Amino acid sequence: MQEKAQQQGAQQQPAQQKTTAAKSTETVRKVRGMVKAMYQGAVEAKAKGQPVAYCMVGSQYDEIVRTMGVFPIWTENYAGLCAAKRDAERFIMKAESEGYSNVICGYVRTGIGFDAMRREIGDTPPTSPDGGMVMPDLLLGSSFACDPRFKWYQALGHYMNVPSFSFDVVTPPVTTDLSEVTEYYVKYQHEQLKGLVSFLEGQTKKKLDTDRLWQAVKLGDETWRMWYEVDRLRRAIPGPMPSEDHYNAMVPGYYYCGTPEALAFYQELRDEVKARAENKVGVIPEEKYRLLFGGGLPPWHTMWMFNYFESLGAVFVIENAYRQYDPVEVPAHVKDPVEYIAWRSFLRMTQRYDKAKQRSGNPTVERLLEFINDYKIDGVVFHATRSCRATTIGQIHWKNLLQQYVDIPATQLISDIVDVRDYSEAQWKAQINAFVEAVDAHKSKKR
Amino acid sequence: MSTQLPVKSALDDIGTLYQERAKRARELSKQGKGVVGYLCCFVPVEFLTALDLVPYRIQGSVREPITMADSYLETIMCPYVRSCFDLALKGDYEFLSGLVVPHSCDTIQRIYDIWRVYREPKYHHFINVPHMMDPSSYEFFRKELELFGRSLEKFTGQKLTEQRLHHAIRLHNQNRALLRGLYELRKQDPPLVSGTEVTKMLIAGMGLPVEEFNDLITKVIREVKERRGGPTKKPARVLLFGSEVDDVAFVQLVEASGANVVMDDLCTGSRSFWEDVDATADPWGALATRYLRGIHCPRTCVPQGKDRHDDLEARFGYLKPYIHDFNVNGVIIYIIRFCDTYELDAPDVREYLQDQNIRSLYIEDDYSMTTIGQLRTRVQAFLEMIA
Ligand code: SF4
Ligand code: SF4
Repeated sequence: MQEKAQQQGAQQQPAQQKTTAAKSTETVRKVRGMVKAMYQGAVEAKAKGQPVAYCMVGSQYDEIVRTMGVFPIWTENYAGLCAAKRDAERFIMKAESEGYSNVICGYVRTGIGFDAMRREIGDTPPTSPDGGMVMPDLLLGSSFACDPRFKWYQALGHYMNVPSFSFDVVTPPVTTDLSEVTEYYVKYQHEQLKGLVSFLEGQTKKKLDTDRLWQAVKLGDETWRMWYEVDRLRRAIPGPMPSEDHYNAMVPGYYYCGTPEALAFYQELRDEVKARAENKVGVIPEEKYRLLFGGGLPPWHTMWMFNYFESLGAVFVIENAYRQYDPVEVPAHVKDPVEYIAWRSFLRMTQRYDKAKQRSGNPTVERLLEFINDYKIDGVVFHATRSCRATTIGQIHWKNLLQQYVDIPATQLISDIVDVRDYSEAQWKAQINAFVEAVDAHKSKKR
Repeated sequence: MSTQLPVKSALDDIGTLYQERAKRARELSKQGKGVVGYLCCFVPVEFLTALDLVPYRIQGSVREPITMADSYLETIMCPYVRSCFDLALKGDYEFLSGLVVPHSCDTIQRIYDIWRVYREPKYHHFINVPHMMDPSSYEFFRKELELFGRSLEKFTGQKLTEQRLHHAIRLHNQNRALLRGLYELRKQDPPLVSGTEVTKMLIAGMGLPVEEFNDLITKVIREVKERRGGPTKKPARVLLFGSEVDDVAFVQLVEASGANVVMDDLCTGSRSFWEDVDATADPWGALATRYLRGIHCPRTCVPQGKDRHDDLEARFGYLKPYIHDFNVNGVIIYIIRFCDTYELDAPDVREYLQDQNIRSLYIEDDYSMTTIGQLRTRVQAFLEMIA
């Protein structure tokens, strides 16, 4: 199962030298401004009387939320931003002092801590990154990919009296015969989305404008198609855009989806990456090893690790995190945009099922095998994120399965997405050194 | 437990069955019966019983260090699930001919894809349980149950008729009624049956065909009512709230520290049997309703109430009669580490209990004998406070 998104952009902060990538694309530099604009935009929206909602990434509702005139604040993104700025600890500690376990999702602890503090002091916690998250008018949770996606907002009931709505995003198991379940899965997804629409209609006192929703959906699809093109261009040798750029470049795709800005961003990025690929502009002067970030969320607190790999000649050329789906074809008979989104969601979730059934039995492993083959990968690195069950459980299994199909070095780094309290830089460096040596030995053997 | 009963009492049987919890299922499997393992309380066991399969609730062991699972499972996940899988890797579940996994929590959902690959059960099935409780969730779940039914028909070559389902529902409702009857005996002070005895009973029963379990409960109830020398009066009457408690170690610790455990809200306890399946004309619908709405688990999202009070009432109101009817004066919230849903609910449960003037102790444990032993001082301090 893949993940949800998160953003950054904070890596470009001059104050955060250690999290700055060596060679990023020009287009990606714009992301930092886009991130700031999200939080500032929420403040302005609120001032104008536009409803602001806390949202969870990957919930498939992006275009609906925007079309309903609701301004989204992506709370996981905010937690990642705090982590990248190394300013999450005070929020985490606050959540823990409120009785939340220290192994709960780091994003959730950051978010709950932030809202607990706001409630306590009656104002935005001082010096919060990017001015903090504005007090929301709505909380929109879902069951996509993890339980904390709705439990987080349920818990916020302790700190704010705000209408909250959560809905199911369902995925069948890979073992299912899709012909037996597609109809009722899509129907349920559709019903759940309709529930969301009527909740939003009730809250905003506005009817959903289906024409506008269609426009947003088309923009959203086009944005993702363009993003997909960018990633296909990254097959070039040397790799024209590293994973650390991806973890910025995902911001428009996940947090601006359904807007013209997002599409424009990927068009520009596509042009730049294309030019870099044609001109053989790589990330470092000599790309010795091409790596795949195999899964788990990125270590937002420690993005320098990409630089460290690069100092050893290893570049992450593609990643299996904060990216979910290739473009999908919704059946032409679907004329209602909400139903379209339901179909799109189902097709996205099941897109490598047929392939998996023919080989490894596991859609994630299929994707990793595709990456290894298409991107000429020399080694795979997973990141086990201590507090995120959803993106971590299964990594060892994928690693085991991969070895049945390809002979490739793989390793698993362990830390958290946000919490740095039990992370050791020295240990990571030692593990990275050993891994890059193994990749080198393996490559030499193949030559 | 001091009883003055003849050697072959039903309570003794329970003790033995608890110690060797898979013994009977193994015997049945050897005799050619299909024994199907399942996780959590979201699997409608009626389907299995209806097709003459023995439902076997898979358990872990706090007494057995997790060793083999480390090569397959990350350490940052529920140690109970890791333990179940570790036992499977060690061959403890070879007698199972099938595996049914419901989508209860993230961890359970993910173990399905791992377990079936490394253990290759003859039959396996995943039931997608909705997290929401809308009418559309019910419709979806019903379809999922129909799919489950069809997969079992294929596996057994038998038809899952309504008649068979009705019969199985009756048997399992009888089981629920008997267990509630057993729990009735905990209402008095001192309770007639200890928390430790009840835990043994429940765990032993999870591996028995329902008819055998029903016989056993009937006998135990009779014995308990007749015996002298049951639990003694203690200053604290505790409700244990949490998830999987498949060993008596912690319950014993609490009961040895000055309390009687008189009620529980556990996946291995009342949560799995408190609510009946409606004996209506439509067994599929009744099962879908009961398994979606009748299990009070934090993994299911209760729609938001109109204000905070209302919200907590909607989520935890079912605890009120437990506290009141069983005369509970303290709650121990006993959570297995890395369990997101319970950990995220815990502060809200505590808030709700505080509103009811009930004190609570929050414990997060690692599912191992070593860590359980270390909890004694905290438990004692809490019990002294509420006594
Ligand atoms: S548990 Fe994982 S997937 Fe879920 S919100 Fe947290 S980081 Fe994201
Ligand atoms: S204890 Fe929690 S994490 Fe473990 S199986 Fe139960 S619900 Fe899932």
